[in-house]
Amino acid sequence: MARTFLTTTVITIGIGSVLLTGCSSDAASEAPQQSSDQASVVRLLTHESFALSETLIQSLEDQGIILEIQTAGDAGTMTSSAVLAAGAPTADLIFGVDNTLVSRAAGEGVFAEYTSPELDQVLPAFQDQTSGGLVTPIDFGDVCINVDNAWFAEQDEQPPISLETLPQFAERLVVEDPATSSPGLAFVLATIARFGDSWTDYWAQLRDNGVSVAGSWTDAYYTQFTLSGGDRPLVVSYATSPAAEVLFAEDATVTEPSTSSMTDSCYRQIEFAGVLAGASNPTGAQQVIDWLLSPDVQADIPLSMFVYPVRSDATLPQAFADFTPVVESSALLESEQVAQQLPEILRSWSEVMGR
Amino acid sequence: MTPERGALGNHAPAFVRHAWMAPLAFFTIFLIYPLFVLVRTAISADTLNALVNSGPWSIALLSIGQSLASVGLSLVIGIPIAGVLARYQFKGRALVLALMTVPFVLPTVVVALAFKSILGELLAPGLILVILAHAYINVAVVVRIVGAQWSALDPRHINVAQTLGANPFRVFRTLTLPNLKSSILSSACIVFVFSFTSLGVVVILGDGSSTRTLEQSILRQTSVLLDFPGALASALIQLIIVTGALFLAARMRGATITLTHSERTKVQGARRSAWVYSIVTLSALIVLTPLAGLVIGSFTSTQGMDLSAWIGVIDAQDRFAGLGSPRAAVALTISLALVTALIASAIGGLAAIAVMGRRTFIAAIALIPLGLSAATIGLGTLLAFGRPPIDLRSSGFLIPIAHALVAIPLVVAVASPALRTADSRRFFVASSLGASPAHAWWTAYGSLLRTVMIAAGGLAGAVSLGEFGAASFLARADSPTVPVQIAKLLARPGDQAYTTAAVLSTILVVMTLSLMLLIDRFSAQGRIKLS
Repeated sequence: MARTFLTTTVITIGIGSVLLTGCSSDAASEAPQQSSDQASVVRLLTHESFALSETLIQSLEDQGIILEIQTAGDAGTMTSSAVLAAGAPTADLIFGVDNTLVSRAAGEGVFAEYTSPELDQVLPAFQDQTSGGLVTPIDFGDVCINVDNAWFAEQDEQPPISLETLPQFAERLVVEDPATSSPGLAFVLATIARFGDSWTDYWAQLRDNGVSVAGSWTDAYYTQFTLSGGDRPLVVSYATSPAAEVLFAEDATVTEPSTSSMTDSCYRQIEFAGVLAGASNPTGAQQVIDWLLSPDVQADIPLSMFVYPVRSDATLPQAFADFTPVVESSALLESEQVAQQLPEILRSWSEVMGR
Repeated sequence: MTPERGALGNHAPAFVRHAWMAPLAFFTIFLIYPLFVLVRTAISADTLNALVNSGPWSIALLSIGQSLASVGLSLVIGIPIAGVLARYQFKGRALVLALMTVPFVLPTVVVALAFKSILGELLAPGLILVILAHAYINVAVVVRIVGAQWSALDPRHINVAQTLGANPFRVFRTLTLPNLKSSILSSACIVFVFSFTSLGVVVILGDGSSTRTLEQSILRQTSVLLDFPGALASALIQLIIVTGALFLAARMRGATITLTHSERTKVQGARRSAWVYSIVTLSALIVLTPLAGLVIGSFTSTQGMDLSAWIGVIDAQDRFAGLGSPRAAVALTISLALVTALIASAIGGLAAIAVMGRRTFIAAIALIPLGLSAATIGLGTLLAFGRPPIDLRSSGFLIPIAHALVAIPLVVAVASPALRTADSRRFFVASSLGASPAHAWWTAYGSLLRTVMIAAGGLAGAVSLGEFGAASFLARADSPTVPVQIAKLLARPGDQAYTTAAVLSTILVVMTLSLMLLIDRFSAQGRIKLS
């Protein structure tokens, strides 16, 4: 009996170690051996939409930092995992916590204080968005109604230009469920910022006039939006989607998007980075935050992640300059307020929409 | 003396009697410990309040109804296909069997979008669309599990009954069906659990009210509200109901007749071949229709039909920052599938053998991962093994482990009905002729075990090929798997992103077909003729 137990244990451990060595070979080979006495490994916890050009991550290695990027689902689930591990983190820093969740995470002791010297270079509007010195703003984007102008031109109809008139167009509009989609939630917050306590009445109008609710952005944009062959020419998406339409067109001769953003309907999303409390390499984590604010990374952000850099001197790619409007009046609610009211907001929305 | 089949008692060789230890050790380390860490971190007094709240329970009730309907439809479609594929040998049989596995492997977001593009005009999002999609995805489970037992049924009984004048339907109802009871129940359980814990399908094809699942609540609670006590309560309720369903099914065992290796017969007779070929054609059509749009999409650009998207993927041009090279992703996905198939077959096979040795509790434990959401497994694993003192994350070790956790229940579900009902007489004959217990055991069960384990390993590999939830949690961002790449692309605007996702999905279809055909080949070679 004891012998068999030993055998099975050995087999289990054997399988384990084969896996361990087999799968870790590429991880080990990536670490440059020659600079091992200098190089410090920094573990970055982020969401599945994180992307930066490969060359930038290489250049960080020249500064002696090997970045180990770990994803943990979408932005919300990533924040969850950071909160659950607060004080004994699974990484050194986190990137991608957004303004709806940042105050909750800060309140749970996720972050260690750090103020980057690069913060001076950030657009004034974002400089004080640090939850009291705990987090650093890195990028921002706007969630707006996207309009398929080609469709409206074909139908000889005028598209809506304001949130107030949008309910008349509800049967042309597809939105996302705020409980499962982050742009969906941003749009609900935009209506709350505009209409205050009567926001549920606004949604009742949208409902009565036939708005379509999709479970995810992918469904809304790729199956219901007319641009992708659907039957709804208005969709809740990002201010940068029209630029993406040109940049990632199959047809190289496409030089102008057929869609545009309705700038009156936008809600601002800000993404933050922060050193994790209890990190094993806090100095390295701080260096990576400075790097995220550096001119090179900031210039790469628009085309990699389709959001805007926060650095005031960052140059935007031509397609951004041409086709994404500067949203002057994007709505933004206080993070503390959102965190407090979120359960109630989602409950009320479900009640009104019958979902 | 007719010993109880499958139960050899103390006659069983030592490795059968102690087979339960390896799966138990594996589950203790990689399932129970991470869950313990997660519960310890997230539990609070509010968890109790959330547990007694009627909200999650009413969602559970709603989704039990949805899941039972999904099970019914999957069985109605799956059983005839399983029968045809298990009993008849015909040209293209292996291809059809491989084809049936494709919907199960494709990322649910791809299947759901394909479904919507075909049926969206006819059916509004809601219960019916969700049930259809669940059946579409899970027919593979029925075909594989029921087929494994069906192909081991002795056809002589049926031939005798037919010679005595029973019509085919009567034979099926009174002879075949009762003897398939344990595998039908086993597959019904798996389909029930998959439908009950469904996420991607209900998010895209559901209406948000009648199609809600607890998994959807868990996502909302962990991803939007950061309501951990509530999420834990939902996860516990989900676990309770899934475990309950599995135990219920484990109590209902089927009747058994002698199992042996039956040779598949050639299709003979006009009526018989009409029946066989119409089922084959129909099932191939059902599988292919939603996929056709996908394949066409991958060859379509705004200028018409061309290969530009394929060239882009094969050239591995880095058009999408941070996506990683598609070629590397294909290589990684295949190696993960192979490793997962190996671990899951080894651990799951030992668990099934342990069940033969009357250690049925192992089968129950092995099924637990089915009741847990990817987020629950991912978060638990991350907290247990993703930080000092034990940091296995950067080793890449955690993904195949997580995939194996999800795949082992399927291996057990394929293997135990077949093994449990296996004929033990050969064992006693060999023993009485002086063979050692181990040798006698191998003589009796070896070839059956081999066939069954290859089928089971195939299903395990398929799970890994298409798995998204755990991979998006535990993968290194710079080396994603193919399903993760597809999901990433589908979350970006621009028609290049969409066609590239269509190309990768088509590649995933081809990978699935190749892997399944390869496994079928091995299994055909391993088939030992028994007189």
